Amino acid sequence: MIEAQDLTKRYAGRTAVDAISFFVKPGEIVGFLGPNGAGKTTTMRMLSGYMPPSSGSAVVAGYDVFRDSIDVRRNVGYMPENAPLYGDLRVKEYLHFRAELKGLRGREARRRTGEVMDMCGVTDMRRRLICNLSKGYRQRVALADTLLHQPQLLILDEPTNGLDPTQIRHIREMLVGLKERQTVMLSTHILSEVEKICDRVIMIHHGRIRACDTPQNLARQLRAAATVSLEIKGKGPMTGLLEALPGVRKAEQEENLNEGWKTIMVRVEAQCDPREAILELATKEHWIIREMHQQLPSLEDVFVELAASDAPPADQ
Amino acid sequence: MRIFWVLLKKELRGFFVSPVAYIVIALVMVQTGFSFRAALSILETGAHSQGSIVRWTFDSQWFWLSYFFIFPLVTMRLFSEEKKLGTLETLFTAPVRAWQVVGAKYGAAVIFYCILWLPSLANFGLVEYLTGGAVEMPVGQLQGSYLILLLMGLFNLALGCFASSLTSNQIVAAVISFTGSLMHYLLGIFIIYVGKRVPEVFLDAVGYIASVDHIRAFASGLIDTRPIVYYLSLTLLFLGFTHQVVEFRRWKP
Repeated sequence: MIEAQDLTKRYAGRTAVDAISFFVKPGEIVGFLGPNGAGKTTTMRMLSGYMPPSSGSAVVAGYDVFRDSIDVRRNVGYMPENAPLYGDLRVKEYLHFRAELKGLRGREARRRTGEVMDMCGVTDMRRRLICNLSKGYRQRVALADTLLHQPQLLILDEPTNGLDPTQIRHIREMLVGLKERQTVMLSTHILSEVEKICDRVIMIHHGRIRACDTPQNLARQLRAAATVSLEIKGKGPMTGLLEALPGVRKAEQEENLNEGWKTIMVRVEAQCDPREAILELATKEHWIIREMHQQLPSLEDVFVELAASDAPPADQ
Repeated sequence: MRIFWVLLKKELRGFFVSPVAYIVIALVMVQTGFSFRAALSILETGAHSQGSIVRWTFDSQWFWLSYFFIFPLVTMRLFSEEKKLGTLETLFTAPVRAWQVVGAKYGAAVIFYCILWLPSLANFGLVEYLTGGAVEMPVGQLQGSYLILLLMGLFNLALGCFASSLTSNQIVAAVISFTGSLMHYLLGIFIIYVGKRVPEVFLDAVGYIASVDHIRAFASGLIDTRPIVYYLSLTLLFLGFTHQVVEFRRWKP
């Protein structure tokens, strides 16, 4: 459905998106993850045909985003960040206008307008002026707009931003419901969101893809980096013996404390918990453990680390 | 083309749901009312050896004082508002082309501008009706006057459209549009004051581009094709600029 090849966008002297390549298969829900300013919105704007890439190419729904921008837009439902809408129109008028703009005519336009209003739960609001709607309803109207022409692909830029938990759940259920007919690409900050509904996650930072996998695989990979920290006292080649334990990738002595106590960091393989084994080993070798603590980095930790640790690329 | 009509309909509707439209209509009615009343008073004093009621109406300071306020008011929100709200992004991710958007917005402004002048036509009709034809009503001058109003309108609206496409701030758009329109008009008056101190060639050039001479010719019923071509080409030029600015997002380096 989407095939991006070295997609790049440069603004005056700044590279917002730097040669990213990825693909999205039909029927997938793909989460686009990254801190603010990572290039999510820019990428989505390029994919939706709003602005062309500086270099590289993307084929969306079988059309090139640069050459056949109009055809791309016919097959994509795009929801911009913060759902900008015309405040002086009523909900129904707005959706009908958008339906006509997307090429639907007369009776069909009216029918689809009714359908999407039902789907997104804004039928009760159809006579309200958009400027008087709450943020949640505006967001839903914007989402309804993307569904009007039954596009093959939905590109949603932070669809759940600023909504309350009930509304977020509602939108989540809707997206899962759409899965049979539509491919969805959505960007978000909310990681639990991604874990619940996305088939695949693309993590982007400073305009580059940092990770691209299923949420389960990502979580597994991340747990591989889990560590057990020990405060221990005893004799013998501790790190060597610890590394011999099944599921331990590496053991490093961190520092020497007073009275023979030391701290050891044990890096653990995916989905292993060697704490019991460590304790048994310690009993056998007559080591004394006064603290043992396992740290499982969450998706959130990696996200924060990604956002904080990386130095921006040199050209920025 | 269908998309264009959908957009045009929406833009026209946009004019009439905002209070600005009614303020502008009121402004134009007051303005033409004043200048028409002033023309009638000339008729009353009997000093009508020269000219006609049509010429006096359009050759008054009442009229031109407020004329150039119309354009910023009509055009300032066209693109600026959408830029500020971010709806331009929503608009351009639907399958619409830039020329359709520019054309629809400009078209709606032109239609609104034409509607603005209808009440003023009634003034002349009313005098004709009430006096039973006793007041001389030169049809040629009337046609010429309204034609030059239309031509100047086409150009100034295009200029306003362009100004609006440049910025997301409506006030800035209004100031650019107002200054541009007024400078173009005042150029002809300015040259009268500077007079002989500038070279002949320059005077001729200004005489050709300044509105003042065009107004004089058309208001006396002399329909000259040169200003027609001139205003239409300026209109196309500024619409072209507007299109480029709107498309610029696509070509931005």
